[in-house]
Amino acid sequence: MEGAAARRAPGLALPLGTLGLAALLLLAVVLGTGLGSVTIAPLEVLGALWRGATGQALAGNDVIVWQIRLPRVVMGLLVGASLSVCGGAFQGVFRNPLADPYLLGVASGSALGATVAIVAGWPRALIPVTALLSALGAVACTLTLAREGRRFPPTRLILAGVVVGSVLSAATTALILRGEDRARQVLAYTLGDLGFSGWRDVLTVLPYAALGCGALLLLARALDTLQLGELTARSLGVPVERLRLIAVVAASLATAGAVAYVGVIGFVGLIVPHMVRLAFGPGHRTLLPLSALLGAALLVFADLLARTTPLSQVGIVTTLLGGPFFLWLLRRQTRD
Amino acid sequence: MKHILTLTALAAVTLSGVAGATTYPLTFTDDLGRKVTLKAEPKRIVSVLPSTTETLCAIGACDRLIGVDEYSDYPQQVTKLPKVGGLYNPNIEAMVALKPDLVLVSKYGKLAEPLSQAGITVIAVNPETYDEVFSRTLLLGRIVNREAQAKALVTKLKSDIARVEILTKNAVRKPTAYFEIDPTPYSIGPNSFMGVLLTKAGARNIIPVSMGDFPKVDPEFIVKANPQLILGVDATTAGARPGWASISALKTGRVVTIPSELNTILGRPGPRLAQALLGLARLVHPELFKADVKK
Repeated sequence: MEGAAARRAPGLALPLGTLGLAALLLLAVVLGTGLGSVTIAPLEVLGALWRGATGQALAGNDVIVWQIRLPRVVMGLLVGASLSVCGGAFQGVFRNPLADPYLLGVASGSALGATVAIVAGWPRALIPVTALLSALGAVACTLTLAREGRRFPPTRLILAGVVVGSVLSAATTALILRGEDRARQVLAYTLGDLGFSGWRDVLTVLPYAALGCGALLLLARALDTLQLGELTARSLGVPVERLRLIAVVAASLATAGAVAYVGVIGFVGLIVPHMVRLAFGPGHRTLLPLSALLGAALLVFADLLARTTPLSQVGIVTTLLGGPFFLWLLRRQTRD
Repeated sequence: MKHILTLTALAAVTLSGVAGATTYPLTFTDDLGRKVTLKAEPKRIVSVLPSTTETLCAIGACDRLIGVDEYSDYPQQVTKLPKVGGLYNPNIEAMVALKPDLVLVSKYGKLAEPLSQAGITVIAVNPETYDEVFSRTLLLGRIVNREAQAKALVTKLKSDIARVEILTKNAVRKPTAYFEIDPTPYSIGPNSFMGVLLTKAGARNIIPVSMGDFPKVDPEFIVKANPQLILGVDATTAGARPGWASISALKTGRVVTIPSELNTILGRPGPRLAQALLGLARLVHPELFKADVKK
């Protein structure tokens, strides 16, 4: 991992990468807004955006563009960026290439909360609330289990996360089996779905994403120092334990916000940072912002695939594409 | 041996012609694609599918039921029978303990193998399409030696259905309709048994055949199709979905939830098919049924 890429001049990687990935992102937005079960020409998309933005009456396909596709695309951007930044930060914080935002039980906690709401038949508006609360509960549980005095040793943290995740998943499965007639709804949630994302959902997720990712981006330099080893980082004046705690809370916030609305979307947070690291090097000041761009673009593309093929759900697409890529990555790394 | 078989076959033909009675052993292929032989007329039956339970009772074999799955709740008398679990949590031990001579299963749920190994005859009867409702009713009639009753039931069902269809066929305006069976959202294709009922109820399903029988639908497809009637969602939920306020059904207030009893009947391809159709037709064309609202 610390190969030639790491030595590449960081001064050039960021602007070049930003430019390339921003172009990719733009392409994702244009295609994501234009294509779907109804194909809408680019000019018509622009017209719809203009009419919507200037408060004119929406006609014909305008409703689809402005009220269905665009919020769905924007939600994809937010979720993709959040999961990827959190993934990159987690991998740095725990110095573990397998870390991802779901590590601390966030996803299973979220899924359990949503399942409770769905099986109990509570209104849709309550689902994210219960998901968020139980996600934060799960993180608190993991942190309590992993705590050793004032420290959170990485191995204990990951083990605790796995255990909490498994227990919560078992509880979720038990609930699904009890509420058979709603099983499909729960299943759809646990597979990740951007359908029915509206502007209100986007506005609700936005502060979580902005706050969480913003904090992580500010920690980038400290994360770089941490890669030198805990002792060195400490001697260089990095408050390692506090850094870890802030990163965990910030990442949990962003992840729970995303998961609460669109369900569990696998592999994005794990894989995107690795792709960026391969292309632009491991420095967190490039890694985190570029992961945000790539993650956002990838999730919009994945959702486009989900909408237009029988794969039908974005989480299925990311897992199907992400799984093999991850294995390839593993093999590549062991060979190095 | 050959002679006996020929004789039996001959007897079967003669008897069925005369009395309409089944002769055993009875061999046929069930819905799991297995060749099953029923040695004698079954007297102690366990049914693990609500629609099968209802059909058995409707053809006069209710007294032979000694156990049902936990979702079988109609007719009233089956609710007192021992429960043997559901599709995903079947209680095989309870089934065996009841000493049935026949267990009627769904083709899902993997009950056939363990029960067969326990020496119990298992038959999968699993109507899924509209036509299968009738063919499986007749099959159940043969299985329990109630062929005449099964034929009568099928005739009655078809005429009850025709009576509703006569009304809806003449409806002046047939609304385009979206029927949501699950808020993920899933809908029904025109070829599914519920889809056939929707069409017979006088609606034009917005889901094309090509999307399959129970497709997961892209929300923007529904907005584009702009249905005049939405079934299976409440107006508040539908109105809160992005872009749905522009759908014709929401503008005219034709968003209708399915009453829970009707919903149950709609999900059961059994003897209450005509009743389900009538309920659905009332929701699609309330104007045609004004006269009997008071009843």
